[in-house]
Amino acid sequence: MNVEINGPKVLGYLFGNPNLPITETMRNAWIVMAVILFLCIFLTHRMQKIPKGKQALAEKAVVMIDNLVENTMGKGCQAFSPYIATLLMSSLFGSLATLFWMRPVTADLNTTLGWALITFALITFNKIKYNGIGGYLKGFLEPVFVMAPLNVLSEIATPVSMSFRHFGNMAGGLVISTLIMGALQVLSKAVLGFLPVPLLQIGLPGVLSLYFDCFTACMQAFIFSMLTMAYVGDARGSS
Amino acid sequence: MDIFQSFVYINWWNILVTMCNTLITFLIIKKFLFGPVRRMLAAREQEVQAMYATAEKAQTEAESMRSEYTERLSKAKEEAAEIVGSATRRATVRSEEILKESSQQAAAMLKKAESTIEQERKKAMNELKDEVAGLSVMIASKVVERDIKEEDHERFIEEFIDKVG
Repeated sequence: MNVEINGPKVLGYLFGNPNLPITETMRNAWIVMAVILFLCIFLTHRMQKIPKGKQALAEKAVVMIDNLVENTMGKGCQAFSPYIATLLMSSLFGSLATLFWMRPVTADLNTTLGWALITFALITFNKIKYNGIGGYLKGFLEPVFVMAPLNVLSEIATPVSMSFRHFGNMAGGLVISTLIMGALQVLSKAVLGFLPVPLLQIGLPGVLSLYFDCFTACMQAFIFSMLTMAYVGDARGSS
Repeated sequence: MDIFQSFVYINWWNILVTMCNTLITFLIIKKFLFGPVRRMLAAREQEVQAMYATAEKAQTEAESMRSEYTERLSKAKEEAAEIVGSATRRATVRSEEILKESSQQAAAMLKKAESTIEQERKKAMNELKDEVAGLSVMIASKVVERDIKEEDHERFIEEFIDKVG
């Protein structure tokens, strides 16, 4: 049998233009956004002075993210909290979408690269803001000017490594899960061919999914947010 | 026939869509999660601070009232002690005065009585003298049977009595 591992399905084209495809990733991202919008409105609906249930959850989340941002980036950086929360929730829900029969949003390089480029823009903007454009350019010549190419390379490597790390983890899980499913189906047919269903597919993929989908999703969301905070905080703090 | 994109690819259109999605999600989270929650937290903090301020004010008020009352109480106690002391002093003085007065009165009465007694005694003595003189004259005149002028006799007798008494 054949096991196909494809990129995101193209669902259609915007304005019929083949350069503007609407992919499965986009659709799933929009679903994730709708979920986030619903969650935000639901959790903060009818807030009271004395918190109860869902409101306590919302407050806890906000305070936790605020504390995380403050501890990692230093004081006065709470304006970044919503962006960090955006990354955390988009990444987490985008990865966990696989639990709901959707292709993970983060298993598409364009998604993680888009986030990494925003983070890269934030890093560069903050570096220039706090060091001046001269200080920013001078930073490439340190410790000696010979290092300039390497410094440029490391600067570019930041978003690339961030995006490929996240994408690789999710896509790798997807590939491994698909391969194991295919292999188990073949095995099932060979050993228990008299049964109408591939029985061996029960069990092992579920356990592996716990690691590849749930654990990795939480891990990568956290890592991506932490790296963003660390890099941007470093850019602000190096003044 | 489904069309798939390749497994690893970079397409600027897809990246642009991702960025727009992220921006919209950012706005959603900022407006619908962080906005209300932060407003609520700020309102609660304000309320707590107001409560603390009120409590502190009440406490300082109570404290000042307590000290005032304590002061007043001690003052009243002092006053009472003073009143009692002065009353006692006055009573002592008065009693002493009364004692003195009464003893003086008693002494005056004693003196008066004594002088009255003396006077009476003198009066009685004189009467006695007169009697005795009269008697003597009478006796003498009877004895002597010589009429002597009464005044002379009286003089003699008085002299005699004086010498005797």
